[in-house]
Amino acid sequence: MTVGTEAPSPPATAPARRRVPVRRRLTRGAAPWVLLAPALILLAVLLLWPLVRVVMLSLQDYRLRNLIRGDSNYVGLENFTKVLTSDFLWSTVLPNTVGFAVVCVVLTMLVGIVVALFLNTLGRAWRSICTAAIMVAWAVPAITGTYVFVWLFDPLNGLVANTLDALGIMEAGSWNWFDDRWAFYAIATANVVYHGFPFIAVTVLAGLGTVPRELYEAAALDGAGAVTRFRSVTVPGIRPILAVCIILSTIWDFKVFTQIYLMPGGDGTNRSVMNLGVWSYSESFAQGLYGMGSAIAVLLTVLLLVISVVYMRTLMKEDEL
Amino acid sequence: MRTAASARRSPRRTAVRVGKFLGVVLILGVSLFPFYWMLSTAVDPNPLGRGASLLPHGFTLEHFRFVLFDAGFVHYLKNSAVVALATVLISAAVALLASVAVARFRFRLRTQVLILVLLVQMVPLEALVIPLFLQARNLHLLNSLAGLVVVYLAFSLPFAIWNLRGFVQAVPKELEEAAYVDGANWSRMFFSVLLPLVTPGLVATSVFSFITAWDEFIFALTFMQEGSKYTVGVGLRTFFTQNTANWGAVMAASTIIAVPVVIFFVLVQGRLASGLTQGAVKG
Repeated sequence: MTVGTEAPSPPATAPARRRVPVRRRLTRGAAPWVLLAPALILLAVLLLWPLVRVVMLSLQDYRLRNLIRGDSNYVGLENFTKVLTSDFLWSTVLPNTVGFAVVCVVLTMLVGIVVALFLNTLGRAWRSICTAAIMVAWAVPAITGTYVFVWLFDPLNGLVANTLDALGIMEAGSWNWFDDRWAFYAIATANVVYHGFPFIAVTVLAGLGTVPRELYEAAALDGAGAVTRFRSVTVPGIRPILAVCIILSTIWDFKVFTQIYLMPGGDGTNRSVMNLGVWSYSESFAQGLYGMGSAIAVLLTVLLLVISVVYMRTLMKEDEL
Repeated sequence: MRTAASARRSPRRTAVRVGKFLGVVLILGVSLFPFYWMLSTAVDPNPLGRGASLLPHGFTLEHFRFVLFDAGFVHYLKNSAVVALATVLISAAVALLASVAVARFRFRLRTQVLILVLLVQMVPLEALVIPLFLQARNLHLLNSLAGLVVVYLAFSLPFAIWNLRGFVQAVPKELEEAAYVDGANWSRMFFSVLLPLVTPGLVATSVFSFITAWDEFIFALTFMQEGSKYTVGVGLRTFFTQNTANWGAVMAASTIIAVPVVIFFVLVQGRLASGLTQGAVKG
């Protein structure tokens, strides 16, 4: 095994590096960018440029006729003033979006962590069986999962209504809970938490495996109870993973669209259950007010970015990236 | 030894065992019940009359036959499969190259590129429906499967890059150097050393891209306005709005859509979990 001067692996010492010809140094400098180019171009064209475009649209009174003519119609911040001063935003849409997201994130995290801690106490076989089962809950697509929940809660023929009927609590078909804002969102919460907790559980479970066993033993020797062990060994050990889980589920739960849109009345026909995503969509594609829809979409994006940045600042350290 | 033996018989120990048993039953029950309810409705000859009964009335495949052949789901399945496979192949190739760049090279702006990849995952894609719809309309990409593939690439790429990066980093650098020493050039090393070793990661990532494309709803709803171009999600919604009370058929269609995804998920679960944490914590 002879290491020739031709070996392209970067030599460790400084004098050797100086001998690398300029051309090869350039190629080596360009190599990562060549590899990155397709991905960066796609992301720029498909994510960054539309992001710029949606901001531009939000400053216009862009309607179907502008779409057909292909012209622009700048009106400054008019859409934003309209949205931000509308009673509908503050009394309905924002509470629906924020309240729903907060409840979903808290519940998803709680259920996910409890399930992970529980799975961690099980033997190998049972743990695999349970993991496979919760994987099923995770895997069911949002579209079909939502229809299953709508069917379970069907006011006339669904399982829940008929169970309540059999128990004598209420008569099946007597009340359409999808019309009620609170009941609608309770069902949506069940759907979203059911769909979301497996990711948290599986990720936290994987994280629990990385916490050194000796730490628990040491804590137990020091007389720490289960709660103290959890607080001072488990939580710090899986903190980066918890941070990622909280960030991701907050983002997901703020922009929930499919699970709301596919519920009865959720597509914009029942305005009392609209959230930001559905409002933006229905302004654009049902009313043809693309400018207005874009302004709402921009608000949603800004809200998410602010939350993400605040989270990353507080929950993650630089070196964990 | 003596204490362990007596502990096994102690009531506290029994309580723990019963508690664990109940926990397992609860997890299995809650996780699988909606799926069971979907399956059992799909094969029930009279789902509307089922009431609170946990078992279906009987067994029939009529609902499946109806949605597949009369309601056109065979066609929707084909559209979805084409879109999902194209997304998987292109995004796997592009993401692998990018992840090698960020995992193996030290270059200026590397951290910034990583932050960018992380940040674009936070852009709510729902917010981009409007500009992308207008763009696709101008480029005559509405009602085209290719248009949808292009959009789904943007969805699956950031996660795929982030995820694959962990797998590429896990390959020992010494193996690459050994290949160079043996006279291989970069591309030779890539195909005979790196690629085989990151294949498990590639499989997990591809499954994820597949599921992203297969499950996606809002863009498919917006872009595909002709019935012949519907993907399964849009097909299901259209079918549901036209046959609201036909729960047997809706659940049969849901089963057809959900089963491939569930099978994929359960198959790659181990790799998926390790990939996620690698992406999350590896430096």
